[in-house]
Amino acid sequence: MSSKARRTLLIVQAVIAAGALSLSALPAQAAEVGVTSSAIKLGITLPMKGSASYGYNQLPGAMKAYFDYVNANGGVNGRKITLVVKDDGYLPKQAIQNTQDLIGKDKVFAMVGALGTANNQAVADAVNLGRRGIPSLFINTGFSGFNDRKAYPTSSTLLPSYVMEAKLMSKYIKETYADKKVCLLYQDDDFGDDALVGFDKDHGNLTFTSKIAYPSLSQGVAGVPDAWVGKFKAAGCEVQIVFGVSSATLYTVLAAAKAQYAPKWILGSVGADIASINPATTPYIIGATSMSFMPSVVDPKDEYVAKFKEIHAVYNAKAKFNSWALIGMNSAFLTVQALKAAGKNLTRAGLLAALDSGGAKFANAGLVPLNYSKTSNVGYNGYWFGKFNTAGDLVPNDTFTYTVYTTDSGTGAVEKSTYSRPDMPAKGLPN
Amino acid sequence: MRTPTFKSRAFAFISATSLLAALVVVSPATAAVATGPTCDGATPVQKCTGTTSDGALYEMRVPATFNGTVTIWSHGFGSNTSFPAAGLTIDSSAQIAPANNPVLVKYLTDKGVAVIGSGFSTQGWNLDEAVKTNTELVGIFKAKFTDTKKVVAWGYSMGGGITQAFAEQHPELVSAAAVMNPVDAWDAQSKYFVDLLWLLKNWFDPSIQLTGYAAGVNGDMQMLGDIQKYTAILKSLQASVATGAWPTTSSKSGLALQANGIPSRSALLLIGRLAGISAQSSSFDGIAGPATSAVTAWPLAYAPALGTLENISAVIGYALLGARDMQSKMGGSNFDNSTTDYSKQLSAADRAIYNAGFSGNTAIAGMLSTLNPLNPDAPRIKADAAALAKSKATMYQSTGKIKVPTVVLMGQNDPVEPAGIVQRMADLYEQDFAAAKEAAKAANQSSGYVAPRRQLAVLWSVTPKTWSKFTADGLPIPIAGTPGTGHTNFTAAHYKFVIDAALTAASTGALPYKLEVNQSFKKMLLTIDRTSAYAWMKHYTTN
Repeated sequence: MSSKARRTLLIVQAVIAAGALSLSALPAQAAEVGVTSSAIKLGITLPMKGSASYGYNQLPGAMKAYFDYVNANGGVNGRKITLVVKDDGYLPKQAIQNTQDLIGKDKVFAMVGALGTANNQAVADAVNLGRRGIPSLFINTGFSGFNDRKAYPTSSTLLPSYVMEAKLMSKYIKETYADKKVCLLYQDDDFGDDALVGFDKDHGNLTFTSKIAYPSLSQGVAGVPDAWVGKFKAAGCEVQIVFGVSSATLYTVLAAAKAQYAPKWILGSVGADIASINPATTPYIIGATSMSFMPSVVDPKDEYVAKFKEIHAVYNAKAKFNSWALIGMNSAFLTVQALKAAGKNLTRAGLLAALDSGGAKFANAGLVPLNYSKTSNVGYNGYWFGKFNTAGDLVPNDTFTYTVYTTDSGTGAVEKSTYSRPDMPAKGLPN
Repeated sequence: MRTPTFKSRAFAFISATSLLAALVVVSPATAAVATGPTCDGATPVQKCTGTTSDGALYEMRVPATFNGTVTIWSHGFGSNTSFPAAGLTIDSSAQIAPANNPVLVKYLTDKGVAVIGSGFSTQGWNLDEAVKTNTELVGIFKAKFTDTKKVVAWGYSMGGGITQAFAEQHPELVSAAAVMNPVDAWDAQSKYFVDLLWLLKNWFDPSIQLTGYAAGVNGDMQMLGDIQKYTAILKSLQASVATGAWPTTSSKSGLALQANGIPSRSALLLIGRLAGISAQSSSFDGIAGPATSAVTAWPLAYAPALGTLENISAVIGYALLGARDMQSKMGGSNFDNSTTDYSKQLSAADRAIYNAGFSGNTAIAGMLSTLNPLNPDAPRIKADAAALAKSKATMYQSTGKIKVPTVVLMGQNDPVEPAGIVQRMADLYEQDFAAAKEAAKAANQSSGYVAPRRQLAVLWSVTPKTWSKFTADGLPIPIAGTPGTGHTNFTAAHYKFVIDAALTAASTGALPYKLEVNQSFKKMLLTIDRTSAYAWMKHYTTN
């Protein structure tokens, strides 16, 4: 070996040694909570039993079905996903406790798909997810307050805001039922307050012949829905909006039938599904108008519906594939993409950054865009309108041709969407 | 979903005597010159007694095996007045441990630890006087027992605040502290107390006097009259929790709210949320419901109001006695809500979480509108300028700064001293600790990094997951002593655990490592949670 070669070797050895030294000097990468080399643990709290659980309680089964499918196909970067489900009965105090347990005892990596405006406000306030850097992704609420990134830095919502919904509803009604007397029943809380903003003169600019705010739970008090219907009927309402929860819709349509009050029904997206409470009530909403950001679950030509239905039939075979299953599987599908985008070195901060940087482009079944970015934690931003068919499924028309509208939670215009949905990846597995 | 129907149930927690029965009652001291200590020389533990220069009776228990460490106990709030009509008698005895529990005293003296404490020279809000008494008492003890090396201060409630202030002002005397459910500084504490009292008076019985009590016995009788009226209000609210009827003594504003269909339980719940009292109590968790159609409606609409009611009944005696005591000491009211905007005291989270209990946003707006300062039916309290000046000039306001190793024990739903008191202390300490770490990093440039020692451990006494119980026909069953609820709801095991931690800290100069791995820790439903987020007292968040 020449002296030059020997010197080169020594330099190379020194460089390698220095590199080894610097590597060994680095602290070992601390394992992120809820993540191992072979597993990722996620958590969800929502009502699974009781009067407020109908429909919602089908979400976790559908989410698990999709996660199981992904796991059977190698998982996310070699990690299998598990979802820990806790029942909160739609009670804020229980949601707080569940979330504390999921984080502190079950050691979940992140929350996904938690449900409810008040519950998630309670959790954010008491558990302080933001300060602790714990992600809560794809929350099933449309309350615009969650769009405050300073207050909710680690949370993201899935549904279009209720302000958007009311704005779109206003446009639809003014175009479809011009000169008709329009009346409004709405829940007297943050949910309903958002709707009032969307209807006001600066937004949807829809005027009402009569409107009634109902306190939550009052819909179940004997005689109360009859009194609402009596007032609306006396006011000569021709178009009746119900911007409330499913039980409010249920009791209202039952009272209306009893009073022979037969307006054109416009049912908000949150409370239209009365069939989940009692399938026998489906006839009461046949022909009623409602809205969705997902394709119709009975759309025979939608590739996402077809693929999710196929997976659901294998991994959640005992459950019916309905609109809730579609939303649940879509949320799981989004979750998998966010986890993949966060990379092999999975961290909570990395997951949040991945959603911010790429979330708006994730493939998904929604017919309107997602809006995740560094400045937005809002999910979908629009709806299509349809009517309930005799089976109780919401459909846009006989040909399943959708006219989709988008808007924002501010004073922006309501516009027809030109959004082109990404294709379903091969085998329903994100790239 | 149906509104539940249930018969009102006679809870034991509402009576004029029960509102006051929990108070420590101590007679006014009379001595003016320090005496003692006079020791009996008994073995294995001798007892010494005497009085401090301000007349506080004190007691010392010193084992023959004295190891140089002494604990000094500070007791809780005591009435400054004799009140036989409410079953209170005067007692000026010294207190050396929680309730002078002989088991705890023996537990400590068996370790070779001396145990001392006084009855304090004055009662009521006595933080300044008590710190002086404790300072003097430590000096007396050290002069008598010259091999004293370590002093551990401990106390609960008023005594918790005294202990914290003592350690804060005299770190040269105190080696470690055990602070249990402490009072906050008077500004914060009085806002909590008088907001509750004023809001109840405003809606439910405007004939309640609340301020301007006469001196002496006449004032005692006026306050007794108020206690009876508050008792009547609470009983009425409890009886009508299902119907929502308002007490017959309600103000015009209250009756107008009733006429608009707002149930009295919603107003009661709003009072609780505005003042900052917990809506979870020993009997009501806000989670469990009866096995009827009301399983969801109960915890949303009724339990928060009943939890608030149970908690208010636990604090109202303290609140009234404390407010009157300070009025007496300062020569007038040093509480002022003449410009308070109560709508700002309702947090966005509370508005959402308790919306059904409030009966909706329209009801909230209606109730808050009657609290407008311009409403002539809701006359505000204007502080007496001289009393306010005297208060600011003479009363020490504890900063919550932690200067010696301190173990804090706190019930998460304490109705008298809300968890936010300790939350603020913990939050401020975390800021200090972060700054200390930054300073250590800066020092690292020249001398190497030396990690600062953590000086504060907060042990939260938490509730079970759910605890409310119901009869087969859906009636709530009263429950006493639920962990994490009630005031000073601690067991001898809690006290032993906390004082042991403080003794260790005094010995080593550092808090014990990983307190939570102790086997008894979880059995006592304790937790160390540095990410807890209890709301601070309203004084800090709305002023």
